[in-house]
Amino acid sequence: MAGSLTEAVRRGPAGGSEPRPAPAVVRLLLRVAGVVARRALLLAVLLAFVFAAVELLPGDAATATSERGESAADLAERRHLLGLDRPVQTRFWEWMTGLPTGDLGTSARGESVAGLLDRPFPNTLLLGGLALLVTLVASVALGCWAAVRPGGRTDRAVSASATGVLALPEFVVAVALVLVFALWTDWLPAVTLTDADGSPASWEMLVLPVLALAIPQIGWNVRIVRAALADEAKAPHIETAVLDGLPRHRIFTHHLLPGALPTIAAGLATSTGMLLGGAVVVETIFNYPGIGSVLAGAVTDRDSPLIAGVVAVTGAVITGVLLLADLVRAWASGGRS
Amino acid sequence: MYLNRRQVLWVGGGIGAAALLAACGDSDEASSKSPAKESEKPRRGGTLRVGALGRASAITRDPHGTQANESDYLIISLVHDTLTVPGTKPNTLPRLAASWKASDDLKTWTFTLAEGAKFHDGTPVTAEDVVWSLKRLRSTPAGASRLPGIKPENIKAEGDGAVVLVSDYANAELPLLLRLTTFVLKKDTAEKDLGKAPGTGPFKLDWFRSGNARLVRNEDWYGGDVYLDAIEVKIFESPQAMANALLAGQIDVASNVGAVAARTAEKRGDVQIVRRPNDMAMPIVMRTTDGPFADPKVREALRLAVDREAMVKQVLSGYGTVANDILGTGDPAYAKDIPQRTRDLAKAKSLLKEAGFDLSKTYKLLTTEDIPGLAEAATLFTSQVREAGVKVEVVKQESATFWEKTWLKGDLYTTYWGTNDSVAFFASKTMVSDSGQNEAGWKNPEFDAAYKKAMATKDAAERAKVLHELQQIEYDESGYLLWGMADGIDLAGAAVRDLPTLPGYGRVQLETAWLAR
Repeated sequence: MAGSLTEAVRRGPAGGSEPRPAPAVVRLLLRVAGVVARRALLLAVLLAFVFAAVELLPGDAATATSERGESAADLAERRHLLGLDRPVQTRFWEWMTGLPTGDLGTSARGESVAGLLDRPFPNTLLLGGLALLVTLVASVALGCWAAVRPGGRTDRAVSASATGVLALPEFVVAVALVLVFALWTDWLPAVTLTDADGSPASWEMLVLPVLALAIPQIGWNVRIVRAALADEAKAPHIETAVLDGLPRHRIFTHHLLPGALPTIAAGLATSTGMLLGGAVVVETIFNYPGIGSVLAGAVTDRDSPLIAGVVAVTGAVITGVLLLADLVRAWASGGRS
Repeated sequence: MYLNRRQVLWVGGGIGAAALLAACGDSDEASSKSPAKESEKPRRGGTLRVGALGRASAITRDPHGTQANESDYLIISLVHDTLTVPGTKPNTLPRLAASWKASDDLKTWTFTLAEGAKFHDGTPVTAEDVVWSLKRLRSTPAGASRLPGIKPENIKAEGDGAVVLVSDYANAELPLLLRLTTFVLKKDTAEKDLGKAPGTGPFKLDWFRSGNARLVRNEDWYGGDVYLDAIEVKIFESPQAMANALLAGQIDVASNVGAVAARTAEKRGDVQIVRRPNDMAMPIVMRTTDGPFADPKVREALRLAVDREAMVKQVLSGYGTVANDILGTGDPAYAKDIPQRTRDLAKAKSLLKEAGFDLSKTYKLLTTEDIPGLAEAATLFTSQVREAGVKVEVVKQESATFWEKTWLKGDLYTTYWGTNDSVAFFASKTMVSDSGQNEAGWKNPEFDAAYKKAMATKDAAERAKVLHELQQIEYDESGYLLWGMADGIDLAGAAVRDLPTLPGYGRVQLETAWLAR
């Protein structure tokens, strides 16, 4: 997915199908709009798939929210109240038409979906955003450090531990962090509790969840940064720069790093999806008030509007990040040619 | 709000989650409160931070809705009062209804409201408010099972201070059935105001956000002294995280956290383990109408083949008690004198032979992982009955599939119930021939007659006698194999005093709790 915009951006100018090229900015905007439209369509298809998939699961929201002992008539009434007696296409269409106005529908328990997500979603964004930031800083720093002397002791140590942690599932990291930093040493809170406005009660509560999410991703991205820099180091223009006698740090910051940037951006973009996926597990372990637990519960309840609501907002964010990464890549590779 | 099936999936590791309807404990040996020191006098003040299980997706604010979240139910029941509440002995105590009396045919029940009961905004509670609330409850899809036998038009006010309910049939257990769902709101409360509607309970809502809430003391509560200044309810998706929060001192009580957490906490001197007996029944259901277990001898054989002590020890980590195949173990009328069944493999084998049971076949025991211990119990059961020559294999089903395809229909499956303080409750729900949830398809005219007689007997002592008869029939012939009862388990910090030890939803009665700090 990450490649498609770059492809489009690259193919565009090279293809030269337009007789008189429009100004660069306009072309870029048009292309961005095209990509956004395509991604939005993809998201809509995904949402249709969500509604269809929930239909295929055994049971429905009416049985999931019923109590033992309700008669068939009671269940039928419940189904009617939830609108489940209408065909799935109708329900999907109704839900989709509400989407542009920000109306995400009503959950199986009669609460507004937008209301159920209005605190959890920003909380998850905060968690995921901080984890992405930590991942970015740590992986670039460590990757560069390792790449300075390829094959050196630092390189071997960093690369080996990176491989080690990238193989660790988030929940292992999370459980270990709680054990060490909360239960044994009592340095940091074990779980996240919220205050009256629904956000974490103190910043300390964010430390462990962010680390639990970031550590496996750092492992992954360090490998990418290190490999991208190594590849770039073999490029002829770097050799020229070295032969020209430019200072090492200048070669690094002005030649090596910009060249490796597209690959690094793509790696981080992939991590976004992984971070949001990992958030489901990490939120449960730390009782973090995000959308992970909303999603897990919604699937159990066959609560289509709620599942679709979560997919829609997360999908929008991932799309946004991928777009950004593609733009960075397009810009970085464009700048080189 | 009895068993709520699917909603229990989220609990994963530790509790009987959504499944519980309160009940009351058979607390002969257990004290009725948590390990408070006898000499201590309750102290006023402090904020109690309580963790309770719940999923963000299932949050509901409607007191008459389906509350799958223990956290939601806890908040609702501290803010709003029901007509009656669970107790130990008797199992039904007055709350908003100060007293009740029945007509001689046990069909017409008059409930007198508590003197001085007021909503949090100062307005007195009237019979009209109660009638409106009960009618609203009755009109929900779950209404017919929550107010069984009561038609909406048969809920009436009698003056300002009493409410009359007329049942379609004699029902001696009506006050018991009103314990957990009959929350009273002001007449004509709008749907959109349900979340902030004033209640009559021991605590007032300060704020609610995403499943968490802060409640402050209702200084004017008619029900007695409330010691805590405030209660903060924290919603937890997993029992594991809740236990961690308690061990790290971030909360004071981990409500219904389960045996796994209790085992971890056993080594900690600064954590109290509160055991609430008779919290959860996990019987094995054997179909009585047809199939391989239709012969009572076969059922008797399986009941003799199971090693109950081992089940309690291994499946419940010892946090439970051995049971005797009679459901409703917490009932004051529970027949303790019926001899305890113990393992007798020789007799089991001879019964199977007499019945001509096919030992060459492998039978399927269907189960789910809805609540902790259920699938484990099934597995241990199969290895135990193997010693009597019966081959059984465990088949785990996804929850939704189980409830749709197996429940009420299967030959051999596990079930679970969280209302365990009434023998009559189980009889009416699952054992009378025409009961809606006759899990084993059991039809026994003698049992039906005993049940009818008990429900129409006004004198309590006389009724207890009939109920004893009923339990004897159940013990001898029903489709249930009830090997044990799981304790409900809460963890509490060292300073917490007087937590309730009632099973099921009785655990929400935190108005008597206080802090020794």
